[in-house]
Amino acid sequence: MFIPEAGDYLKLRQLIKIVLINIYHNKTRSLLTTLGVIVGTATIFLVVAIGNGGEAQVNEQYSRLNVGTVIVMPASRGRVVDPLTENDVHLFMESDNIANAFPVLQGSGDINYDNYTQGSRFMAIYPEFQASNHLTIEQGRELNQEDESRSNRCAVLGAELANTLTDGYASEIVGQSININNRKFEVVGIYSRVGDGGSGMSNDDSAFIPYSTGRKYLLGSRANPIIMAQATGLETVQSALQDIKAVLDETHRMGGAEQFRIMDAGSRLVAAQESARTMSMLLLSVAAIVLVVSGIGIMNVMFVTVKERTKEIGTLKAIGAKKSEILYQFLVEAILISLAGGILGVIIGYSTVPVLEFFELPALPSISGVLIGLIFSVITGVFFGFYPAMKAAELNPIDALSYE
Amino acid sequence: MIENPKCVIDARNIVKIYQNGCEELKVLDDISLQVLKNDFSVILGPSGSGKSTLMNILGCLDLPTSGQYFLDNTDILNAKENQLAAIRNQKIGFVFQKFNLMPRLTALQNVMLPLLYRGVNEEEAIEKAKEKLDLLGLADRLSHRPPELSGGQQQRVAIARAIVGNPHLLLADEPTGNLDSKSSAGAMEIFKELNCQGNTIVIITHDVEVAEQVEKMFYIRDGKIYDKD
Repeated sequence: MFIPEAGDYLKLRQLIKIVLINIYHNKTRSLLTTLGVIVGTATIFLVVAIGNGGEAQVNEQYSRLNVGTVIVMPASRGRVVDPLTENDVHLFMESDNIANAFPVLQGSGDINYDNYTQGSRFMAIYPEFQASNHLTIEQGRELNQEDESRSNRCAVLGAELANTLTDGYASEIVGQSININNRKFEVVGIYSRVGDGGSGMSNDDSAFIPYSTGRKYLLGSRANPIIMAQATGLETVQSALQDIKAVLDETHRMGGAEQFRIMDAGSRLVAAQESARTMSMLLLSVAAIVLVVSGIGIMNVMFVTVKERTKEIGTLKAIGAKKSEILYQFLVEAILISLAGGILGVIIGYSTVPVLEFFELPALPSISGVLIGLIFSVITGVFFGFYPAMKAAELNPIDALSYE
Repeated sequence: MIENPKCVIDARNIVKIYQNGCEELKVLDDISLQVLKNDFSVILGPSGSGKSTLMNILGCLDLPTSGQYFLDNTDILNAKENQLAAIRNQKIGFVFQKFNLMPRLTALQNVMLPLLYRGVNEEEAIEKAKEKLDLLGLADRLSHRPPELSGGQQQRVAIARAIVGNPHLLLADEPTGNLDSKSSAGAMEIFKELNCQGNTIVIITHDVEVAEQVEKMFYIRDGKIYDKD
């Protein structure tokens, strides 16, 4: 007795061909069905891009500042009643948790080179500042201890500032003299570009001179410094902060540590990461809701499609289509529709990136974003297409054939 | 059980009962029926006689409540769902009253379908489908879709689809019901020709005119079958 093998199935290529014909026939409906998936996938793609962009930005900030750096500055921007002193610096250094501390003075003024004047920020720094802020020399030399002890009238320029002053020929400025607020300085070097930290004021746009020089010639001995301290390690930052507060409470009896802002790079970055993560979670849940809603849309449309083709399903069963073949056919239809939506979504997401950049939201498109977006679109198709496809597969051939 | 190798349909004591609430409706009542290889038979009956139910059972779309059914010596009642699908695909060719073609597929693609569901590769399916369409005079209609074809042409596509897989049994349900008299006569000529070529054909109809053209006739009424040779 011969029973035909049940193992012969419609080939996948043929199945996809038939499905594509059906989708093409219903192109308007199929396109409308994909709208939700398009939006959902585009959102997921952007979530990943924004996440990557935020991470890249945070990493860049890490690279610009040592994690153990603590900055102490007056809390109010106005006149400081009780300024930080060099005595504070010495007291900070006494702490076991602090490896190094040095004052920094900031000023702004006109910088003049070769008849060109540019308003800019300048900073009077100790040589240690350069290592703490990851400033490396592009050309010439950095500021050293000798400049500091002799109050040399020399300056090192940020990359951007050097560019602006020389109209693009930065290299020519090394060895030349510039005027800062009408005082002459010799340019001894240019720092490598560090990029915009997003804080607005970048070291790239600043001029750097020795601390003692700054006091002596530009800012005067009564200028109020900020203090940069370096914790001995990442794990001692919190203790270092405690010690700094204790010193400030002790030395500044009028207002104590309260009147100063104490920032440490590590916790600032952690906070930034935290908010980036919150943002991502928010967008991700929006994407999830959009995808669920669009999935329900797909399910709806697939139900209508199954209903419309009931008689065809009956015919297919009569000519020998197996239950699983009907199931696959409708499942593949749902998957292809959602995958098409996913691909369109990724394309639209990709073209939205410049818009985000215009609004200064850092977004970094990536292959992983494309893949995650597409995977989610396919999952939507599988998940919400399965039930209608199952219904189609389970149709009784007689009922299906007599359906009008 | 006597196995007759020439017996394509061997149905014994078929009973089909539908449960309608608590009421039992006996649609087929102890039907026995044999169709031999190369027979051309017709099952004639008025509407409500149970002939559609019988056709569904003979076509392996439905199973009887009791009785035995051997199609080409295969015990249908003991076949699993996927095996039934394979049997329908390989042993039976269906021709429907309303043709039941896939409206979005071309004539050629429609005829290819049974072969594709059998796992035959595309080139071979195209070749065989073309051959059958050519046989039925539709060589110039290969890429037409059903809505672009006349009723008679659609029925010929449907017949081509039914015979493309060389089935052991061609089962036609009111094949002329939706055709004008000219196309109807043409379709009957095709069946006769196919029968001459060695196909076993069973037509189910309520049309006495159709039935009179066929050599062997079964008459079904109120679920009982009568031999009317």
